[in-house]
Amino acid sequence: MKSLISTLAPLFFSLFCKGEIEQNTSKSLEPQFRLNGKTTQHAFGKAAAIANESTVRLERNGKVIALGAIVDSRGYILTKASSCVGARQAVASDGQSYDIRIRKREEKLDLAIYEMISSNRTFPTVKWNEGQTKKFPAWVLASSIDLSEIRVGVSSGTPRKIGREGGVMGVLLGADGKRNGGIRIAEVVPQAAAYKAGLQNNDVIVKIDGRKVVLRDQVIKLVSNKDPGDLIRVEVERKSKTLTFGVTLGHRSVTFDLFNRNLQMSGPVSKRKDNFPQVLQHDLPLPKEGMGGPVFDLDGGCVGINIARIDRVTIYSLPGELVNRALINLIPEE
Amino acid sequence: MISAFYFFVFLSLIPSSFGDLAESLPWHKKVPENQNDLRIIQSHLQTLLPACEKAVVAIEVNDGAGSGVIISEDGLVLTAAHVIGKSGRKLSVRLADGTKASAVSLGGSEISDAGMIKITGPGPWPYTKIAPSGSTSIGDWCFALGHPGGFDKKRGIIVRVGRVIAQKDETMQTDSRLLGGDSGGPLFDFDGNVIAIHSRISRAPDENYHVPVDSFHANWDFFKNQKLLTLDDLVKGGFLGLSCEEYEASGLLVTKIVEETPAEKSGLLKDDILLSLNGEKLDTREELTILVSSMNAGDLIVLEYLRNGKLLSSKIKLGNRPK
Repeated sequence: MKSLISTLAPLFFSLFCKGEIEQNTSKSLEPQFRLNGKTTQHAFGKAAAIANESTVRLERNGKVIALGAIVDSRGYILTKASSCVGARQAVASDGQSYDIRIRKREEKLDLAIYEMISSNRTFPTVKWNEGQTKKFPAWVLASSIDLSEIRVGVSSGTPRKIGREGGVMGVLLGADGKRNGGIRIAEVVPQAAAYKAGLQNNDVIVKIDGRKVVLRDQVIKLVSNKDPGDLIRVEVERKSKTLTFGVTLGHRSVTFDLFNRNLQMSGPVSKRKDNFPQVLQHDLPLPKEGMGGPVFDLDGGCVGINIARIDRVTIYSLPGELVNRALINLIPEE
Repeated sequence: MISAFYFFVFLSLIPSSFGDLAESLPWHKKVPENQNDLRIIQSHLQTLLPACEKAVVAIEVNDGAGSGVIISEDGLVLTAAHVIGKSGRKLSVRLADGTKASAVSLGGSEISDAGMIKITGPGPWPYTKIAPSGSTSIGDWCFALGHPGGFDKKRGIIVRVGRVIAQKDETMQTDSRLLGGDSGGPLFDFDGNVIAIHSRISRAPDENYHVPVDSFHANWDFFKNQKLLTLDDLVKGGFLGLSCEEYEASGLLVTKIVEETPAEKSGLLKDDILLSLNGEKLDTREELTILVSSMNAGDLIVLEYLRNGKLLSSKIKLGNRPK
């Protein structure tokens, strides 16, 4: 899997940290006037209020795990499915807390619908802005995690499909193994899937799911055709013994974080950040737990659902049109 | 008579209404006041972007990827020193549309992290204007362009809007968000001029560092024609023995004189304002460092400076940098 790393990791010039310019207030811009300062947020007016009231935060054991968009006045919430495992409560911007239950999941888009258990039939919902020709850069905003402020940024780049990444074992492969009759594991990435399954450095992989392998590319292909979470059977030779391990594959981005300086500088990112039919890209400063919530344009129209935090300058959103089409099958008619 | 009177009233109104217009541009306000101000900023950026974007390049060197901006028709590119690494290196650049071109690294300085490269293929290349020295103030709106994470044709160039939050000597800080791969890319003002080049990211994602174009202006010929100045070179070159910071429009304010150095022996004092070295006007701190370190211990320099408003001049023999 060395080839994976060389395409992932070192492509970028690291930008090392440098001592701060003395930020005594007289010589630097006051925080309130910065892009995400309170005074700047104020200019977003009605759009900010809309963002806060139509967003909820989803909690598990009192901890925020995701945001969600109120998409139906009966209290249906749309959110990022893979972030919400075990979500118990939804908290609205007025501080009201509701028990929730899951109604439906859409694995392809990584979306889920939860229902807030309440007799209220007049929850404030997002108003979709779809079909407008998109010009870039464009202001975007979303509610902060605590629903008391907003975060602002711009969307830019070409809306596009994000391809599938496939699963990984988390090993660095040695050279093609005609001589060894297999491929030697040069290194097992600590804490990754192969490590947890019990594979060790210098094990020689001879079969994957019963198929003989002698070339690195065969291993890479067999593994990456599977998805994160899939189980594969790996047969290795260790000190002239043949052993078989079941490896539950991991996410490539998470597994190889270690090797990617950009990700080290980015803080926690979403596990699933691949395989979306279409995304918009923007630079809102939201943490991983801020995914699942709605993102708005300057007029407070909802332009999408934040679906993955990629790095410190990139969030992907599923565009409104796409989400809306999916919603037809997700929300019960009653 | 009456019509003439009105004519004058009308005329006299013009300057003041022009003044109002200029002040009401939302990016000249202390802060945008409402959604309409933000809408004007948005459409202004959409108008500026196509021309600015065309001049941005992705730079590929060995295993690394950075960004740069073309600033002349014949393909001179401003970038970061840490992107080029050294002078005379063969590189490859890519325009936004994916067009590839060969280039060679010229010079720059590791002090400010300014670097230059030249596209070797025949032009004309799309290019953009750069702002003159001293044209940026704290609070100015700006936008960063570049290839965060490396070139991605399907994605394209990414825009990050922000404001200048601090500026001192050879560094500018903004809250435009940056990532590796952006290095060397341009920071634009809202007139569509390059005001700085992305240099380093800070732990805080909204306090990143850029090289102001002032560094390029002050050392243009040196960056274009000489070898990249490394921090190691500073150790080898001549030594003066003072600390200074940039002072108003031009000149350098002496903040400290180191004991037992040529600077102290020459009688220079704290708060003197250095104006020129061997007739070369001193606009940036980096320029003084480059001039001194490009000479050797024992070389004589003539330094002109202001003390209490009086113009003075000293001949100083440079020394060796203490180990």
